[in-house]
Amino acid sequence: MMRRGGWFPLVCGLMTLAALALVGSNVAVIAVRGLKSLPACLVQPEVRFALGLSVKSACISTALCFLLAAPTAYTLTRTALPGRRAAEMVLELTMSLPYIVLGLSMLILFSSPAGKWLKEAGFPVVFHQNGVILAQLVVNLPFAVRLCAAAFRGVDRKLECTAGLLGASPAQQFFTVLLPLSKNALISAVILVWSRALGEFGATLMLVGVTRMKTETLPGSIYLAVSTNNLDAALASAFLLLVLSALSLTAASLLGRSSEKRSRYV
Amino acid sequence: MCEHATEEILRLEDVTLRRGSFLLNQIRFSVRAGEIVAILGRTGAGKTLLLETIAGFCRPEAGRVLCRGTNICRIPLHQRNIGYLYQDFSLFPHMIAAANLGYGLKLRRVPKGEIQKRVETMADRFGIRSILDQYPGTLSGGEQQRVALARALMVRTPLLLLDEPFSALDPATKEGLYRLLREICQEFQCAVVLVTHDFREAAALSHRVGVLLGGTLRGVVPAQELFDAPWDEETRCFLGLEAPEKE
Repeated sequence: MMRRGGWFPLVCGLMTLAALALVGSNVAVIAVRGLKSLPACLVQPEVRFALGLSVKSACISTALCFLLAAPTAYTLTRTALPGRRAAEMVLELTMSLPYIVLGLSMLILFSSPAGKWLKEAGFPVVFHQNGVILAQLVVNLPFAVRLCAAAFRGVDRKLECTAGLLGASPAQQFFTVLLPLSKNALISAVILVWSRALGEFGATLMLVGVTRMKTETLPGSIYLAVSTNNLDAALASAFLLLVLSALSLTAASLLGRSSEKRSRYV
Repeated sequence: MCEHATEEILRLEDVTLRRGSFLLNQIRFSVRAGEIVAILGRTGAGKTLLLETIAGFCRPEAGRVLCRGTNICRIPLHQRNIGYLYQDFSLFPHMIAAANLGYGLKLRRVPKGEIQKRVETMADRFGIRSILDQYPGTLSGGEQQRVALARALMVRTPLLLLDEPFSALDPATKEGLYRLLREICQEFQCAVVLVTHDFREAAALSHRVGVLLGGTLRGVVPAQELFDAPWDEETRCFLGLEAPEKE
């Protein structure tokens, strides 16, 4: 017999099943059909090029992203800089914008005389692989700042004050206290940002388009394959993205678990 | 009061600071080397804000904080050489006790061997030699307190600020630490400002006691005169010398 009030967990359970079916069916399609198409597609130079470009650009853009995000998050969480709130709002706003809009603005920016000057100086962006990295960087930067800020906010400020009174300059406080104490959260953030960079498509499409063997990332490869009715190639690329995402998610969750264990001990 | 303490380490001159609707109002007192001054007050009286202002976490709107005669209000935190102990000790959780102790010396580029020697000497003085390789999370409250005190003294700080440092400890541990604090205060000739809401602790530990109520320092008197001094009515009520008037 059902206990009083027992209907609520039951309804929630059914909703959970519906949610799992909705998401899981998509994952299952890619996993089953993509795996079947993978061996034949992996030998194709286009797919291997897309995989290589995706991984390379995601690594570079993620590194650049955190080079900018960590100091920005520090400024936002640890200083009394005027205009901090406005800066936070700008970052939040770009996070909620469709990425294709960011891509459009970047296209206009880099097609301007300044963009042309950059090209002449040896740094072409529009319709170039540099643009892939830049698109991933701009799209992910607000997200990375938010993750870094959350990591920094998790560290007790008193520890930095104590370090300061023991003689640590702000930079020393950052490198000896704040960074080590937010290390695990930051590593998880790097993995998540890398995984998002890998799947970036909207802004990249606007800025560099998708040209075979030139600016073709894995998401671009799926787009091209579907456009040319090559479903097997699209599924193979999708499967590769699924595997990479699953691996990064596993790494992030393992790190989270080890950090939890450590915080219980320390 | 200690007889040899002559050098004035800390002097507050009309220090004023507003935080929202709270006003820390024209605080003035001084502390000499080897002296312990306790600031007594209710929760929300401004005790921690006062310590944070001395330490440099907040800048006073008016008045001066003088350390050995120098106005330190505009000196950056890391150049002040002041020890600060929080209620929760604020040991660096990612460093073992030895690394916590040696942190300040490492920043001052003292050679590794010298750091180790000085850490061990200080650890012996504080009875924490056996826990030097342990992380703070594995230490008891009393041990953490000792490590935190030792860490502050490693860099030869002339001024130690203690923010209710004994409130979370059991009576036996407290007694031991009172004794230790009095000893090291004399030995290292450092001035100590301690904030607490515990009358007994203030009277037992300090040479002089100040009462801070509503952001105003009502006076600083020798500890043995705490209950005999000519306090105003509100302070007498706070000290339990007079029953508050019924409305």
